[in-house]
Amino acid sequence: MLRLAIRNLFQSRARLLITAGGVALSLLLILTLDAIFQGVERQVSAYIDQSGADVFVAQAGVRNMHMASSSLPASALEEVERVPGVRSVTPILYVTNVVSIGDSRNVAYVIGLPAEALAGGPARVVEGRGIPLPGEAVIDRSIAVKAGVGIGDVVKILGRTFIIAGLTTGTVNLVSSVAFISMADFREARAGSDAMSFLLVRALPGVSLADLAARIEAQVSGVTAQPTAAFAAQERRVIRDMSTDLIAIMNLVGLLIGLAVMALTTYTASLSRRAEYGVLKALGARNADLRSTVIFQAMLSVALGFTAGLALTYILAAVVPLTGVNLLLLVTGESLLKVGAVSVLIAGASAVLPILQIGRLDPARVFRGGIGR
Amino acid sequence: MRLAWRNLIQERTRLALSVLGVALAILLILLLQGFLRGMFRQIAAYLENSPGSVVVAQDGVVNLLGATSLLPQGAAEAVAAVDGVDRVVPILSQFVILDLHGRKQPAYLVGYDPAIGGGPWEMAEGRRPHTDDEVVIDRVLAQRHDLLLGDRLTIIDREFTIVGLSQGTTSWMTSFLFIRKTAAEALVRAPRATSFLLVSPASGQAAQAIRDRLGGITGTQALLTTEMIANDSRLFGRVFSAPIRLMAGIAFLVGTLVVGLIIYTATVERRREYGVLKAVGAPNRVLLSVVTLQALAASAAGSLGGVALALASARVIMRLRPQFLIILEPTAIGGAIFAGLLMAVLAALLPARVVGNLPPAEVFRR
Repeated sequence: MLRLAIRNLFQSRARLLITAGGVALSLLLILTLDAIFQGVERQVSAYIDQSGADVFVAQAGVRNMHMASSSLPASALEEVERVPGVRSVTPILYVTNVVSIGDSRNVAYVIGLPAEALAGGPARVVEGRGIPLPGEAVIDRSIAVKAGVGIGDVVKILGRTFIIAGLTTGTVNLVSSVAFISMADFREARAGSDAMSFLLVRALPGVSLADLAARIEAQVSGVTAQPTAAFAAQERRVIRDMSTDLIAIMNLVGLLIGLAVMALTTYTASLSRRAEYGVLKALGARNADLRSTVIFQAMLSVALGFTAGLALTYILAAVVPLTGVNLLLLVTGESLLKVGAVSVLIAGASAVLPILQIGRLDPARVFRGGIGR
Repeated sequence: MRLAWRNLIQERTRLALSVLGVALAILLILLLQGFLRGMFRQIAAYLENSPGSVVVAQDGVVNLLGATSLLPQGAAEAVAAVDGVDRVVPILSQFVILDLHGRKQPAYLVGYDPAIGGGPWEMAEGRRPHTDDEVVIDRVLAQRHDLLLGDRLTIIDREFTIVGLSQGTTSWMTSFLFIRKTAAEALVRAPRATSFLLVSPASGQAAQAIRDRLGGITGTQALLTTEMIANDSRLFGRVFSAPIRLMAGIAFLVGTLVVGLIIYTATVERRREYGVLKAVGAPNRVLLSVVTLQALAASAAGSLGGVALALASARVIMRLRPQFLIILEPTAIGGAIFAGLLMAVLAALLPARVVGNLPPAEVFRR
């Protein structure tokens, strides 16, 4: 019966192609949507992940960087430095603003860095310097390339003019990039306040980061301290919580499309083999045998579709960045498990109609010529 | 025509499944476009409903929602002194992330002066804030998190009492929160800070002329409200259009494959009959038109079904998840139907090849 299922499936290559292609595209819908949001999650926490800090200290109640602001008094710096287990503290200023180059405007996280920054600077500098001097800016290379500028050219940030002194990579996402200027320039542009946005703490070797964060919160008033991994996780949760409902709706539509495609192809394949199934029944094959043939055929089609869908997703993930769109597609194990479960569901459900049809098949009609193709 | 119709409806379950497949593909395309359209409407809501037709922002900032703006001290006075300016409404605004019931909820916080304006334009319940520890939140946000008038809400590190629920101030990404401007200044620790000025021209003054006259104030940038709305839409459009185009493209391919499958199967099954028709002198174009008509009929039924499904689904989604606004415009519906017809033409290619290559004599040899 398994051989029959395989033969049925591979007899018409065009049909097999359409079946596997239809399922692949339906699963691709689900996989791609997941991959897009996973990619956005990864990109949104890229600066934090690569900051080199062990603990992020923010204004009390501030647990995010993206879509948030934080303001700490200057006194917090010394207080945090005094906490046991702290190796170094780098203050940064931060605001979401615009990098203007000629007529092109790009939303960016603007980071004000002190000259002696031990953390919070760009992780990958591809040209020039990473820590800007007063009057200088360090921006993402892809933004510079798009605008046709390079080291020594002029860029406008926070309404002021800066000379590009360094180019970085890996900070850009679908929405924004990261630009660095000196802390002195940032302060001047922001009315000279001595407040800081975040304190980036590096811990002494062997110190538990969770304990250190708790100690900072206990000893310094008005702050929220989180280990970098936890802070980045909070950042990713903003994207996840924001998109959960949207993903659920789109996944449901993807599932229904996959179900319709598979039901159609399995039903069509069984329909065209109705006469053979009738002969098999007349020769004594049990309904259970025929059912398992249909189910196996459906499973095999879905497995092929799943493989093709996955391959297409990986191809898309490789091709999309080449088109100049800052969209990262990230396929995770969790997503594969979900789509695998959806595939099994699709295969099972799509076999229902053909099974019912085969169950009702009258073997005697084969000999009367009543079952045609 | 009759032959095409007969071929198509001979196996009704198969036809129903293929129509459903196309309908679902069209549903997805329409829903995605509807989400995008609705999102544009939602992000424009604040500026469309607030006073003024010119917005003054920090130099370089051309979006309301895309970037944080901080105007230089004295900007409001300088703007008010410009000839032809009637009214200046200062607001201090920025995104905040609320932690509500274990979920992260981004919200756009607007600090405004109730005596001047710039706050909620429609109240569903309650009143506007009178003191610095009172907040007006969006009605849908309150509903989603079981928040009632009188409840306490933590924003950053301060507690506020909910005194009013506003209407039309939400989107699936974010909701608007309104507090007094002085409260916002304390919250972000920026005394006397202002993000934007909403400027109304005096009667008889053109908004463009005022915008141009405001261009000379150092550290600021003046835009028409409509320009800023367009910039926000462009920014969010850039973010969402790539994934949405990708998803819609996949849905289109699925629809094409579904129609292709049914027409291909129906053609292969009727190969002998097509052969007979060819043998008795029917030209290829007649047979091709039979195949294409079948594809068009299946796609048209699927497209219309998809439009109906989209209209119904949009209503259900917006009822169950009121933060979503799905706008199905006639142009989008027309585009989806056109996509359905295009699916039919593409889907007919393979079956047409089968029919075209069919040797008429074969039928007599069998």
